Amino acid sequence: MAEPSLELLKGTLDVLILKTLSQGAMHGYGISRSIRETTREAFRVEEGALYPALRRLEKRGLVEAEWSVTDTGREARVYDLTPAGTAELSAELRSWHRYVEAMGRVLGAASGS
Amino acid sequence: MTPGERRTGSIFPRFGLAEDVDRELRDHLELRAEELEQQGWDPAAAREEARRLFGDKEEVARACRAIVTSHQRAVRRGRTMEAIIQDLRYAVRTLLKSPGFALLALVTLALGIGANTAVFSVVNGVLLRPLPYEESQDLVWIQEINNRGGTMSVAWPNYEDWRAQSTSFAGLAAVNDFTATVLGGDEPLRADGALVGEDYWKLFPTRPVQGRLTVAADHQVGAPPVVVVSRSFWLNQLGGRPLDTQRLEILGVQVQVVGVVPDGAGYPAGSQIWTPAEPQNGSDSRTAHNWNVVGRLAPGVSLARARQEIDGITKRVTELPDEDPDFLATGASTVPLVDEIVGDLRRPLYLLMGAAVLVLLVACTNLASTLLARGTARSRELAVRASLGAERARITRHLLTESLLLAMLGGAGGVGLAYLVVLSIRRSAPAFLPRLGEVALSPVVLGFTASAAVFTAVLFGLVPALRLTRIEAGEALRSGSRGNAMDGRSRVWRLLVGTEVALALVLLVGSGLLVRSFRALLEEDLGFQAADVEVMPVYLSNGKYPEPDDHRRFYDDLLRRVASIPGVGAVGFLGSVPLQGGLPNGRLELDGDLDKQAIGGYVVASGGAFEALDIPVLQGRVFDERDGPDDEMVAVVSQSFADEFWPGEDAVGKSVNGGGMDNFYSVRGETFARVIGVVGDIRHRDVGREPYPTVYFPYTQRPFRIQYSANLVVEAAAGDPAALVPALRDAIQAADPDVPVRLNSLAEAVRTSVGERRFLMFVMGGFSVLALVLATVGIFGVVSYSVGRRTREIGIRVALGAAPESVRGMVIRAAMNMVVGGLLVGVVAALALTRAMRSLLYAISPTDPVALVGAVLALSAAALLASWLPARASTRVDPMVTMRAE
Repeated sequence: MAEPSLELLKGTLDVLILKTLSQGAMHGYGISRSIRETTREAFRVEEGALYPALRRLEKRGLVEAEWSVTDTGREARVYDLTPAGTAELSAELRSWHRYVEAMGRVLGAASGS
Repeated sequence: MTPGERRTGSIFPRFGLAEDVDRELRDHLELRAEELEQQGWDPAAAREEARRLFGDKEEVARACRAIVTSHQRAVRRGRTMEAIIQDLRYAVRTLLKSPGFALLALVTLALGIGANTAVFSVVNGVLLRPLPYEESQDLVWIQEINNRGGTMSVAWPNYEDWRAQSTSFAGLAAVNDFTATVLGGDEPLRADGALVGEDYWKLFPTRPVQGRLTVAADHQVGAPPVVVVSRSFWLNQLGGRPLDTQRLEILGVQVQVVGVVPDGAGYPAGSQIWTPAEPQNGSDSRTAHNWNVVGRLAPGVSLARARQEIDGITKRVTELPDEDPDFLATGASTVPLVDEIVGDLRRPLYLLMGAAVLVLLVACTNLASTLLARGTARSRELAVRASLGAERARITRHLLTESLLLAMLGGAGGVGLAYLVVLSIRRSAPAFLPRLGEVALSPVVLGFTASAAVFTAVLFGLVPALRLTRIEAGEALRSGSRGNAMDGRSRVWRLLVGTEVALALVLLVGSGLLVRSFRALLEEDLGFQAADVEVMPVYLSNGKYPEPDDHRRFYDDLLRRVASIPGVGAVGFLGSVPLQGGLPNGRLELDGDLDKQAIGGYVVASGGAFEALDIPVLQGRVFDERDGPDDEMVAVVSQSFADEFWPGEDAVGKSVNGGGMDNFYSVRGETFARVIGVVGDIRHRDVGREPYPTVYFPYTQRPFRIQYSANLVVEAAAGDPAALVPALRDAIQAADPDVPVRLNSLAEAVRTSVGERRFLMFVMGGFSVLALVLATVGIFGVVSYSVGRRTREIGIRVALGAAPESVRGMVIRAAMNMVVGGLLVGVVAALALTRAMRSLLYAISPTDPVALVGAVLALSAAALLASWLPARASTRVDPMVTMRAE
């Protein structure tokens, strides 16, 4: 918490959403809270930015949504991954891992010497 | 509307609606505030904090809505595509169910659209496309006007005055095309070239690929002769070698090659060499009309102003000279250059375009009636669908999709046909068609085809579609497939069949006129016999034969050599050959009196020419060895010359002088020649033009006339004259190996001279036969259909004892009833439209009764046949069968 928040890289939000939804269908607020908790609020991002991202993913056919009743008895717009979304997520994950690994090798080597 | 409801009934993926957005965002803010409250925030502060954490809610909502809207749009597009594909699939299925109809429709459309595409590709290439020059709309063609109101070539001094005095032009240049023997290349050859004035390259801006263009210094009298050549000439004839080593001999003059320009540069199209005109100009007389002049309008100057200015200058300068006023210009004519190039083709090409459109209209009418007939048969299916809730618009769209599909497929077939036509036109390269290289299936042409196809589909599809969907669903279901087709909709049938008949009749009358006119033309007596004659143009190098007498000696020798070839019947010499590039004509003098003038044709000849061409000698004799260069000057005149200038007198023994025609060559003093014979008239200029009064002089006595243009005419003693060609070639090579050899048959020249009329007749004839066939098929279809619908009625009549003849008569009468109206309208329309053909007809009036009656008879016969066949079939059916079928 004491650390200053990170700027969210462009496109990162999409991956976070997809990853979050891979654990199961969720409404917008749920996704928001889940991201906040798992990242321990490391990212400085306005919560509203989630919604245009969700609509974009929906338009691209990576997620689908329908109004339904949640566990708490509320009616909410619940999002879920489509098969295309699942595929997109694993592709994104692979490239993230490669990216992190490469950066880690460079930066780790630099600080190690 | 609850969220649940929204899901039902849609097979498309659910996607967000705009009103969902606000609700979702509101929910988020509420939940966030609740969460904060649970962490101990005061409610008001929690709501405030939730909003802060959220960011600009309006901005977010706007972004979401924008995405949703574009999503919705994409989905709608997808839905439309899906609907179109569905319609197409349905249309394909329907067409496959009746392959006979589909095939007939496709062939009809392919022919109709193909005809239009082919004709339009010619119209576009020849008439519509701009000339292939920079700012080509500013190029003009200037000629002088003679005292009879016709146009003629320009006298050099007038051209110089135009250049000096006019202000309307960015440039004016004399341009005379010529065909000359060129020596010094890899082989002696005939090349097409142009003598051009100083401004020429300003008119036709060109960047040389090698060397330079000609400049002012090259265009001075006395300047060292230079020439610019085309790239292909440079590569093929000069081997692409460096220019400074290249000297050519053109028109007997040694010239230096100074530049190479891209192929297709300049005017006239196809020129290979360009050389300055000024040093070649031979006459400062204002009555020597030898030059063509092309101009480029200065920026902002109208054609009308330029025309007025040039006309004014011409009138002014021709008032001064002390020359024969009969031969001075009385003014000048300035027209766009494209008009000169296209010439008289505008009218025939537009005629063909109109004819092609008529064919397409016949095709449309034909298909409309077939579709309507089929549609009526399908009305039960349509009614069922309508009663099941299909909207009228939806059914209309189905029917139109069917038409569009047919039209598109037919259009594709049409493009294929047109491609073949364009290919064969370009391959046969008819002599009368300029700009042939530009006739192609260009994007403009294909665009035209696509619009024609859509237009066609709407025309033949919309009427039946609207008509059919108007049927009340209940009524069609109740009456089933019965009913009398000839009453309820008889007006539509009458209209469709009548239109088809009228259109076909107009085409038939038009082509009938052309056929009649062409026959009249071919029946004209040419006055000479072309079938067994080879023509051999001979061009000598004036460098090698500097004196006129050298030319004469060469031809004396050549005529002797050719005469001795076995199989040669007769051989002669002619300065200009009939039907090949005009007849020189000008002022002549009669009866030893220089003031007694006549205008006539002027041809140098040998006596053998009359024999070779079978031109009859009516009085006296023609030239022979008695008429050598040192003997008494003699001449032969044509019948019409004798009749015109010595009416009622004996022409033999009179005298005639070459006059203006000879002065140009500055011969010795007076050259009055005694007329020694009268020969038959020939159609020298054109098959369709009356013989022109003409004087023949022996080449032996006027050798200065044969330096540029000379031809041997060789008649075969028997058989095909083409068999003589190798021996003729050998004879020329033996006489002088530097002379390029070209041979062509005179019969071919006769064919070529009527080529344009023949082409017009055949294309128009083809179109009208097509229209006749389509109309016949159309009538057949409609009558068959109506008979099919009346089988029950016919069955009852036959069962009640009606004679088959009377039933047949009833069917045929009903059919002809529809046809007669069309014939009447067609006759009126033909009389109105064929007037536009007057200038295309030879010796036949546009209201020629034979063509009119012939067309009506042909069409009536076809209509009778088309209705008799189904009528006969109708009475062959067993009445019991037809009645039980109900």
